[in-house]
Amino acid sequence: MFEMFLDGFAMALRIDTFLVMIAGLFFGMLVGALPGFTTLMAMAILLPISFFLEPIVGIPFLLGIYKGGIFGGSIPAILVSMPGTGAAVATSRDGYALTKKGKSRKALDIALFSSVFGDTASDIFTILMIFPIALLVMQFGPPEIFAVLLMSLIIIAATSGSNLIKTVIMMLLGLWLATVGTDPVGGVERFTFGLFDLRSGIPLLPMLIGVFAIPEVAKVVMENNMARKLANVLGERLTFAEFRRCFKTICRSTAIGTGIGTIPGLGQVVAAMMGYSAAKNASPTPEKFGTGELEGVAAAEAANNAVNGPTMVPLLTLGIPGDNVTAILLGAFVAQGLRPGPQLFEEQGTVVFAILVAMVFANLLFLVIGYLSIPIFSRIVSIKVSILIPLVIMFAFAGTYVFRSDSIDLLMLVAFGIFGIIAKSARFDVMPMVMGFILGPPMEYAFAQTVAMANNDYIGFFMGERWGAMLVLILSPLVGFYLWRRLRQPV
Amino acid sequence: MFINTIQKTAKMLAVAGVAISATLGAAVAEEYPDKPITLVIPFGAGGSHDLNARVITSIIPTYLNQAMIVRLTPGAGGQKGTSEVANAEADGYTLLFSHNYLDMLKQYTDDLPYDPMNDFIPVARVNYAPIAVIVPASSPFQTFEDMVAAAKAAPGSISMAHSGNWGALFVPAAQMMKSRDIDLNLVPYQGGGPAMQALLAGDADVSMGFPSVIGPLLDSGKIRVLATSGPERIYDGIPTFTEAGIEGDVGFMHRVVLAPAGTPDDVVKKLEAAFTALQDDKTYTRLMGRLGENTDLLLGEDYQAMRVQQSENYKTLVDAITK
Repeated sequence: MFEMFLDGFAMALRIDTFLVMIAGLFFGMLVGALPGFTTLMAMAILLPISFFLEPIVGIPFLLGIYKGGIFGGSIPAILVSMPGTGAAVATSRDGYALTKKGKSRKALDIALFSSVFGDTASDIFTILMIFPIALLVMQFGPPEIFAVLLMSLIIIAATSGSNLIKTVIMMLLGLWLATVGTDPVGGVERFTFGLFDLRSGIPLLPMLIGVFAIPEVAKVVMENNMARKLANVLGERLTFAEFRRCFKTICRSTAIGTGIGTIPGLGQVVAAMMGYSAAKNASPTPEKFGTGELEGVAAAEAANNAVNGPTMVPLLTLGIPGDNVTAILLGAFVAQGLRPGPQLFEEQGTVVFAILVAMVFANLLFLVIGYLSIPIFSRIVSIKVSILIPLVIMFAFAGTYVFRSDSIDLLMLVAFGIFGIIAKSARFDVMPMVMGFILGPPMEYAFAQTVAMANNDYIGFFMGERWGAMLVLILSPLVGFYLWRRLRQPV
Repeated sequence: MFINTIQKTAKMLAVAGVAISATLGAAVAEEYPDKPITLVIPFGAGGSHDLNARVITSIIPTYLNQAMIVRLTPGAGGQKGTSEVANAEADGYTLLFSHNYLDMLKQYTDDLPYDPMNDFIPVARVNYAPIAVIVPASSPFQTFEDMVAAAKAAPGSISMAHSGNWGALFVPAAQMMKSRDIDLNLVPYQGGGPAMQALLAGDADVSMGFPSVIGPLLDSGKIRVLATSGPERIYDGIPTFTEAGIEGDVGFMHRVVLAPAGTPDDVVKKLEAAFTALQDDKTYTRLMGRLGENTDLLLGEDYQAMRVQQSENYKTLVDAITK
């Protein structure tokens, strides 16, 4: 085993592997930074290239795109409050506030360092613990997924603001909006009013851009100061002291992200929000979160990247892809003649370890690539708003359209934009709505699965077979209440 | 300076315009295909159709002399992408990559905004895969009959993980239940991967899987096959659906390229010729082989006969299950 690892380590030290990883990382970062383009799309389109390369070159290329893309998504989230994916929502909260304070470079730097740290630590942990993780993954089924999602929503509601009623209203609104479309279990249409366009439900991207970016755009426009810049100064880079201050948060978020990564089907959104909530709870100054706290960015970014390591485990050990990204990687592995499954490590251990080691190298390479490109990206804030705002609006609409090439999405963008402006002026936080919208469907699905699995014997099912899920379900309101009491700001 | 730039730009635009119109003029006279072909996949990224399409589209340009571009249009259980192609111009530049259940079964379970039989013609059945009924190695069921007996003894006590209602794992299970008059507890999962994971974790007693997916798990002894679809045996000593008394053309996933009805014959012939040429392409057969897929091509007319048959079978099945 250890010999295979050493051979794999040596195998990964190839100049062409490094070159394609650099290309993949850079390309992934660009794609991730453009709203509407997803890393998933980029990986799917570039997958055939890997068919014709050696495994230790082709697969690191795809991994590079994936890793670059996750960080890329944080760039518009921080600079112009435009999160392109659910995973970047938590990042944009403090990230954009920092930009407005003229600290965009610091925000991008801490995002980069936290991402790379979270990802590297979780990858190394995965390499060392791959077989224990594989056993652990099998312990989580629909009842556990449902319980953890419900607990996440409760924690988000409890920690996101001081006015619990407003938060719950928004979250319920998000949960309701998520039910529009074809019911994923029974195939029944809900709230579609007979409109075909609504059958596939409300897409996420117009909502994200509409409620997060449009109100900020409107705010700048209404100030009516065309010569103004988003921030007066380019800002300084992150200092080591600041990084050290965030280090505890980064470690905590990495642990949370890695843990959530072992539960199949939860993913980056939950990890980012839980990392953020935990950091807020642990902070001596929780009221600063949301107003431009470096730790907020660090918490979200470390957690959503730490998910990556464990999600590879079911793919490598059982040949089961947990999400679409790992499904594409499965295709790449299989086309190379590597068949992920129980025997992969026996038959092709060296190559697999080489790929895993390359994954760690990709993180380190990205540290350099990211650090060098942040000054270029952060120049965006030094553009006069009379030019920047039209550009942001253009990217908002273009990105929304590119995502599904469906013109109905543009109407949704406008509708969510107006809604976002109204919500902002009425001091309703839109984040709980977005989280309800994102986490509602998987929660509903897991609930339906749990009901089917229990087969009319709920008490026996939960007490006898699923006491872990039961425990989480019982504990979550208590945890929620505790957090709410603790973080409630004195009125 | 500014004026200069505008003038320069205007000149460049004019030149570009002439060039474009010249190309277009030439293009009209040329034969199909003179521009890239779009292959719409009504499913999400990373699924088996996506992977198959990546192989096809990276090799078929050699034979069409044009690129084929994959466009993923998931939504409403495949209706979104399908209706998009149904409404596209029937010129051979927009094709659909679908499968038999979406193509022929969905019309009986959903109110579709298109008519699959009259709005589409098949171009090529690219490959097909039989399905296998599987249990974990620790299962008490040694044979298919063991499972049937247990299901008869305690109806609804056996849980069967599938990949979504009326999907590739659900339909064979439904047919199994109907033919052998048993009752299984059908539990949905979001795709074949999660369903397999549920089986391995012991959350489900029975599931189904395609040979390409179950291969490594079967070789390592983690699962056991109880039966496979169709009339011919795939694994030694494992009964077929026909032997097990499950009739009808169920349990096969046919991946099929469809074109909007009204697509000119010569265009269809060209596409068919390209798909036929793929059969002899070494890279294509090698990559498909690695994905665990066969390259058993059926051309338009032959597959149309199967579609008519499927349509009837599925109608009976849906009526029997939902009644």
